[in-house]
Amino acid sequence: MMAMKLTTWIATLISLLLVATLAMSDGIAPATHTVKPGESIQAAVDKAAPGDIIVVHRGTYQVHEITIRKPLTLMGKDRPILDGGGQGNILLIAAHGVTIRGLELRNTGRSNLNDPAGIKFFDSKHCLVEDNILTQTFFGIHFSNSSDNIVRNNRLVSEAEKEYMTGNGIHFWKSKRNRVEDNYIRGHRDGIYLEFVTDTECLHNVVEFNKRYGLHFMFSHDNSYLHNTFRSNGAGVAVMYTRNVVMKYNRFEQNQGPSSYGILLKDISDSEVRHNWFHSNTVGIYMEGSSRISFVGNEFRQNGSAIKLMASCDNNTFEANNFIGNTFDVGTNGSVVLNSLKLNYWDKYEGYDLNRDGIGDVPYRPISLYGSIIERIPAAVVLWRSFMVALLDRSEKVLPAITPENMKDEQPSMKPYDIDKKVK
Amino acid sequence: MKNILLLLLGLLLLMACQVEPRPIAYGSDNCHHCKMTLMDPLFGAEVVTQKGKIYVFDDVNCLMSYLEAHPQGEESLAHVLVADYTRPETLLDANLAFYLKSEQIKSPMASKIAAFPSEQSMKEFKKGLLGDGIYLAWGELVTQFK
Repeated sequence: MMAMKLTTWIATLISLLLVATLAMSDGIAPATHTVKPGESIQAAVDKAAPGDIIVVHRGTYQVHEITIRKPLTLMGKDRPILDGGGQGNILLIAAHGVTIRGLELRNTGRSNLNDPAGIKFFDSKHCLVEDNILTQTFFGIHFSNSSDNIVRNNRLVSEAEKEYMTGNGIHFWKSKRNRVEDNYIRGHRDGIYLEFVTDTECLHNVVEFNKRYGLHFMFSHDNSYLHNTFRSNGAGVAVMYTRNVVMKYNRFEQNQGPSSYGILLKDISDSEVRHNWFHSNTVGIYMEGSSRISFVGNEFRQNGSAIKLMASCDNNTFEANNFIGNTFDVGTNGSVVLNSLKLNYWDKYEGYDLNRDGIGDVPYRPISLYGSIIERIPAAVVLWRSFMVALLDRSEKVLPAITPENMKDEQPSMKPYDIDKKVK
Repeated sequence: MKNILLLLLGLLLLMACQVEPRPIAYGSDNCHHCKMTLMDPLFGAEVVTQKGKIYVFDDVNCLMSYLEAHPQGEESLAHVLVADYTRPETLLDANLAFYLKSEQIKSPMASKIAAFPSEQSMKEFKKGLLGDGIYLAWGELVTQFK
């Protein structure tokens, strides 16, 4: 009985090996199919065997929902244009190991009901989208239930008449282990949008002038965002209901408006925000219901408010950050402070350092009395920079009565940190 | 006589200050609960208090969280409204709407719930989803989020 089992086992092994070598020899010599203007890309896709390469030559192709259900490489020679004619999706992919390279995709449909996209992936793995240009797409590149994909070096530009009549640039839904790098995204609803996405990296992307958020994620744990630039997006960046987020070396710039934030952190926990650069935002960071986040080595420069820390936040630490030229450094809405500030550089600090250890000898209170009044009565901002306000602020600094007593940096740094170089 | 007329006119003017809902401004309104800017006209909700204060929400679950956090109850609210899935940018009375919850409905805050003006329109939409989804009435929705 035993011997019998062994022989069948060996036989299975040998046949498996045979199949594997056959498959490999197939992989070594994939066939190349060419498509020229006037010919059908879908027909070439249908004809191709798994692993083949389809080269699309220069020209304009009127296409509608080219469907790919096997591993293929679809690449453009001298950037052909695939025009969706304003109807539905342009490429629909449900396969493993598909590569899309060097194409220009134009004019998807525009509808909130079925979310048409330039490239739409379902249940796909190990796909690569590289060096493409997408213009006038509703959604740009849309993934659902997909993992281990790479989106690299694409340019997504869209324009919409109405603000909400556009979808997201790069959209992931229920996906994991993906990488989004070196893309340029402009004019979509959210530049990069992640929902139920884990273990994903976003690197070196430039995301600007999108209608709502540059980056937006919800329920997306264990992701990291490094070296990205988020500039002039409608409402900045919003991250929500997530834990284990790593954000480093990003730039959040020029996000201005009544409800614009460099980053809006809502219910975020156990995360790191380091060496980022917040420049000219209405609010640098707005935090609500967030805990255990460490903010280290960031620079806040020329923001309306550098940080708005709501009383629902706890156990957050702000260490060795630079606060330079902000109208208000920190604002809050309550008297409870469960967060700590230390060793930050504040340009408004007026203390002294008698023992010359580089750390101020008296604490700095980053909340100005007037700042907390504006928090309650926004219209009071018209009196800003008047003599009375300066007087009030001065007396409050001596004897804190209205501002939270515990919101202070006990060890303010006398010199700014050299953060600029690291980000650039 | 003139004084009485003036008084009546004054009363009329006062009556004109009713607590009325306003259409949601998609693209610029922010959700009162989750702070997100509303973008998807298929979803949304609005609450008007007796005093005429208006709060806007981007998804049914944000509305529910608000109602849950303000248990002084619906009597202090003049209107509770939800966005009509079949006619974008119009609002329905939340009490009378028909709700469908389905994995295929991708709402802004992942409630997976859409609101319909009639049972028929809901059923028709459900047919389009190949029957995937469950019907909920307002009461069931409220208890589900408690």
